[in-house]
Amino acid sequence: MASLVALSVVALGAGAGQSALGGSSQSGILVSGTSDSVTNVDPAGNYDFGSATLGYNLLEHLYDARNGSKIVPSLATNCSPAGNTRTWRCSIRKGVKFHDGSDLDSADVKFSFDRVIKINDPSGISSLLSNLKSVKTNGRYGVTFNLKAPQSTWRFILASGAGGIVPSGAYPANKLQANNQPQYGTGPFKLTKYTPGQQAVFERFDDYWGPKAKSEGLIMRYYSKSSTMKLALERGEIDMAFATFTPTELGSLGKAKGIRVYSGQGAVIRYLVMNVTREPFNNIAVRRAVAFMMPRQAIATRVYRGTVKPLYSMPPAGLPGHTDAFATLYGRVPSPAKAKKALQDAGVQTPFPIEVWWTPTHYGDASADEYAEMKRGLEKGGVFKVTLKSTEWAQYSDALGNQYNAFQLGWFPDYPDPENYLLSFYQPDNFTANGYENPKMTALLKQEQAANTEAKRLSVIRQIQALAAKDVPIIPYWQGNMIAVGRTNVRGIPTTLDAAFIMRFWKVSKS
Amino acid sequence: MGGQGTSLRRYALTRLVLVIPMVFILLTFVFLLMRVAPGDPITSSLGGRVPPEVVDEIKHDLGFDKPLYVQYVDYLGDIARGDFGTTITDRRQLGEIIRVNGAATLELTFFAMIVALVVGVTFGLIAGRFRDTWLDVGGRMFGIVIYAMPVFFIGLMAQLFFGSYLGWLPTSDRASPITQATLETHTNIFTIDALIERDGDAFVDVVKHLILPAVTLGLVTAGVFIRLIRVNVIRTMKDDYVEAARARGIDERSVVYHHAFRNALVPVITIVGLTVALLLSGAVLTETTFNWPGIGHTLILYLQNRDYTAVQGIIVVFALVVVAASVVIDFVNAYIDPRIRY
Repeated sequence: MASLVALSVVALGAGAGQSALGGSSQSGILVSGTSDSVTNVDPAGNYDFGSATLGYNLLEHLYDARNGSKIVPSLATNCSPAGNTRTWRCSIRKGVKFHDGSDLDSADVKFSFDRVIKINDPSGISSLLSNLKSVKTNGRYGVTFNLKAPQSTWRFILASGAGGIVPSGAYPANKLQANNQPQYGTGPFKLTKYTPGQQAVFERFDDYWGPKAKSEGLIMRYYSKSSTMKLALERGEIDMAFATFTPTELGSLGKAKGIRVYSGQGAVIRYLVMNVTREPFNNIAVRRAVAFMMPRQAIATRVYRGTVKPLYSMPPAGLPGHTDAFATLYGRVPSPAKAKKALQDAGVQTPFPIEVWWTPTHYGDASADEYAEMKRGLEKGGVFKVTLKSTEWAQYSDALGNQYNAFQLGWFPDYPDPENYLLSFYQPDNFTANGYENPKMTALLKQEQAANTEAKRLSVIRQIQALAAKDVPIIPYWQGNMIAVGRTNVRGIPTTLDAAFIMRFWKVSKS
Repeated sequence: MGGQGTSLRRYALTRLVLVIPMVFILLTFVFLLMRVAPGDPITSSLGGRVPPEVVDEIKHDLGFDKPLYVQYVDYLGDIARGDFGTTITDRRQLGEIIRVNGAATLELTFFAMIVALVVGVTFGLIAGRFRDTWLDVGGRMFGIVIYAMPVFFIGLMAQLFFGSYLGWLPTSDRASPITQATLETHTNIFTIDALIERDGDAFVDVVKHLILPAVTLGLVTAGVFIRLIRVNVIRTMKDDYVEAARARGIDERSVVYHHAFRNALVPVITIVGLTVALLLSGAVLTETTFNWPGIGHTLILYLQNRDYTAVQGIIVVFALVVVAASVVIDFVNAYIDPRIRY
């Protein structure tokens, strides 16, 4: 017993006076914290943000958003439609090595896509390849993708998580590579040790085909609570943190000595879905009145302290083709007068009672304040009488439009293109189960997918946004910034904050 | 003597047989509880990103659309074969979770128990020996406060004071990132692994990380010990043999330390076993507060994702540990006190 006490005293004494307690003090190794978690490292079972963040540093795709939100050829040197956008031919980059020492070729590309479909993992990642009919190799460095229907945005699918390329000799074809097995890609870092829920350890891949990572190594540290991560960052136990602090914590970190908060263009959005087939939101006047009253700025300022921006269309500002469609139709600031008029013209008496659902267990601690602010905003001027209801995510995600008339949802993109913010929401039988179906919208979505020029596609995307604002089945209200926090000796964080929402750790280092 | 031995053996056998229905009821309870809870792991993990038909297809592949009784039979069959399964959300073998995360919990609870014993026995003995003095009042109040205070609150205060304000100790995790990356693990108990590797720096780093969570968890348990030992000391101080020792002219110091205290500590042996459940439940909160990657912390993460297999498996392991501890304590009690027999 005495020896234990003595040991504790020695340990305590050793710690006193050290600023970092040996935490992340080894130079050249960048330590980053996150409150996200990893489900699967294997890209065939990886459809969540925590796993994707790990994967982006390990794996590459035929196309990647390497230097910004625009996707560029990565493991492919080029992918082009053959005739129409139903067939795509890609040339594979030569001289690329996997972390296991093998060379990349077309067989690896075919193998990687085929196994995602074959495994059909419960994560749902294979749904991104639902339009893929077959993959064929053309020699050692050529691949042809045959699609079920024309898709002008196929390059974006190639850049999505479903398109991570792994070596065919190191992964099973019909099941996931377990997390405790070696994981290989072609990325700037190779994974040397992964302890689930604790940390992932990477070292720089010296045979990388592109610019080498700026840090010798990288450790991603996983936290279940952002408050614990904040303490670790303040104490220097970690060098930086990415995803996700609460607005209050960010405010506090912004004032902390030796720490800097970086903010860039974001891609996460939040929106309110209404079921258009049931009362009271089957009345378009009610939906439009909600659109007139949406307190976007109040939510952004009071709840999120400026870490999010008001959003006036599903595709966030910063993506090509974005228009402020809702601002055009309903104004930028809430208007009780216009909302009341819309309701009165439809014979609806005010204050009109509505029920709004939200969940406290999926979109962060600020959701409670967000919906309290929304209630306050919608009730201004006696337009609505709002009853808020909430339930935890497991039940909530099962119910959505099947049970709720108006409800909160959020979206993180599979690929940085406006299509990803439209296709999943405005098709008949979309996942929100809000019953929205407009043949004109369905036709526009098909036109967008089949468009043979970018100009034509973006023109259709603008028409879709205008129609979505007019029909109002969904009201987008904020887009989040991409925020990372680092100690002042960390360099390069701003170079990776853009609408692609990828933390490119290979561009970050510490002095 | 032979008769007593037979009786103890019969008691032990009966006690072991009774474990079977106890475990069976427990397994059934856990199974039903998970199914009664709203939501399912597939819908929960997909987060509404894919069409309902894809969700249905995946549920079918995993057998979640089978009738409840079929799922139940499969579940019992797997447990009987010692197969606790693979988690749905991240494909981890439950065996691996028990080995890796269970070792973290074992390390934490072991050191917490030492803290609890040191603090509990010290304060309990002092309070009992100096009954109705300010030492007694202070000791009792301390015991009540640390027992009544939520463990996460003590943890948070400790983090802020010793970690953030004084800067003496790390506030989270089992070791610093570099130590954890470089330490070769043999047992997954980092203090032992550091000793095996003869890595002094790693050992000091690991111990520093252990102090706050172990003291936090230990203090809560110490509250139980303080009150129990105080009462026992007061009672034994009045026992006939203590009075007899005094009457024989043995000095008071010797009476207290060699007679009263020693006997007052006997019931602690049984209480130590019973506090296993308290420590495990406390470990869930302590581990979450300190980002300690133990099995309790892991349980919370899987609960949030409604991962049936993981939650079932971990709760079953927790329950089996508590059942095993209670059986051991019953054996010890029966061995010490022959009146406790069937």
